[in-house]
Amino acid sequence: MGTRWKWKGAKEKALADPMSQIVCQLQSCLLQSNSQVLLTSSCGLLEADDQQSELLDRACFGYRIITAEKGNRLFTLSMEETFYLFYILKCIKVIGEDKCEKSCEELWSFMNSCSENFTNLFKAYSHLRMKNWVVKPGNLYGADFVAYRHHPSLVHSEYAVLVLSDGQVESNGRLLVWSDFEGALRVTGGVAKTLLILYINKSGTEVTSPSCFENFLVEERTITRWSPEQCREDQTSLKKSLDADKRGHKKVRPKKKPSVKNNLGLIITGGLVCSLLISNCFLLARLWRSKL
Amino acid sequence: MGIAMYTLRKQPSSGVGAMEAKALASPSESSDAGGCLEDLNDDENSYASGCRSNLQCRKVASTGRWIDDLGMAELVLRKGNTWNSTGIIRNGKVLCFIEETLFLAEIGAFKILNDDNTILPMREIYGKALEAKNGCLWESFEAYKRLKSLGYIIGRHGISWSVKSVGTILPPEGLSDIDKKDFESIESTHISKTFTGMQRKEVQPIFDVYNPSSKFKKSSPGHPSFVLCLARGQPPSKQEVEDLENRCGCPLKFCKVDVGRTSFFSIDRVELPALP
Repeated sequence: MGTRWKWKGAKEKALADPMSQIVCQLQSCLLQSNSQVLLTSSCGLLEADDQQSELLDRACFGYRIITAEKGNRLFTLSMEETFYLFYILKCIKVIGEDKCEKSCEELWSFMNSCSENFTNLFKAYSHLRMKNWVVKPGNLYGADFVAYRHHPSLVHSEYAVLVLSDGQVESNGRLLVWSDFEGALRVTGGVAKTLLILYINKSGTEVTSPSCFENFLVEERTITRWSPEQCREDQTSLKKSLDADKRGHKKVRPKKKPSVKNNLGLIITGGLVCSLLISNCFLLARLWRSKL
Repeated sequence: MGIAMYTLRKQPSSGVGAMEAKALASPSESSDAGGCLEDLNDDENSYASGCRSNLQCRKVASTGRWIDDLGMAELVLRKGNTWNSTGIIRNGKVLCFIEETLFLAEIGAFKILNDDNTILPMREIYGKALEAKNGCLWESFEAYKRLKSLGYIIGRHGISWSVKSVGTILPPEGLSDIDKKDFESIESTHISKTFTGMQRKEVQPIFDVYNPSSKFKKSSPGHPSFVLCLARGQPPSKQEVEDLENRCGCPLKFCKVDVGRTSFFSIDRVELPALP
């Protein structure tokens, strides 16, 4: 489907402000302040000051929790995000329910106990993050993740990501029947995304410690519907120009006339309302006087 | 479109009616309707185009003869330029597979003669398409028809267009007068290899497909644009896709045929760029 920037100039803005630098800033900022993440049963909680929360927003980590309290803000981080900040960026400490700091192994086994698919999901998450793609949960689109080329305020997500692996995990049952396959394509196509499959190949590695991640291989494949009508070589250029024409017309035409009409309408109704209000005020004032 | 039709209906009537129609067809509204239609069309194209086929019937028909032993038709009288990209050449004769025969017969471009020189009715050609020994599943034919009617050039996977174009299959000696059995000896191995034992759940390469081109030559077809694989029963697994990629060595497309609707899919290996 290609990249869909949200507004004119968004692409330039993204280029001028690379995601790698934002994440670097976030990393050093969290590191400096010795940040701690509180671990709950399903997510991490991070308290952030103004600068940190700005960077977390810009780098697209976690969700802000709105509270009545002023001052520091709370962010919820997904398991993958928490582990990414902890293990890859090494810029946070994680505190468990027992108020003790978690070691790498402890945290890793805790996360695996929360979700049997954690290793695969984390590998996929870190794979895309390390290429500086912004990765957010894909639950709105029936996917594991969605991947953005930059901050979601600048660009629509480009890929709906499904994570499959060579092991025996439940999520491998996906896309095995045509209805699943076609359903996934229909949903992603309907929201102008491309279905991206990340196959995690453990290549026989026993998953015993976090360092195993580094040996996993990730294979990227897109699944798309192919339209023979649109792909005939000689037709593509013709169709493109036709489409461009149509779009051009669509954009130019409706914008001008209605705006003039609407403005006139607004001015007239505004005028009427004003005059009514004024006359009413006079009437009220008279009534008051006569009563007094 | 609804508005346009409304305009047409209203115009011949009284002046008021015509004005009303004009007002309805104001620029903003008509462009909105256009937008809607465009979206619907997009939808049709990507998801359900199988139900529309642009078959164009022909006035001139070539003639051929069905050779039962081969499960192929031999071209007897050649008309039109269809044959530049249809049928394989063996020993100077043009032979076509059942899917090619049936497709051309459907559009009226190919008449098949019986042994007694009467024309074979369509019903019987369909009957031949159902015979397993002719090596073409009904799904394959549906896919063939869809692509062929759009101008794609299609050959059976792994079968050379002409004997010359592949070095390994040499024409038999004594070219002058070769009967059916020689054809059979050349082809039978290939045909049986490509189509026998197609399981209900298997994914199989069926056609080598070339993009539409008027410059196509059977003697030097070049590399196909893609190999079309028929997936029956289940979507192809990762392992199956990989095996086929290794076997075919060129891009693959997968097709799934439901009643009257053929869907095509690409499952392509990609590499997402590392962003700045």
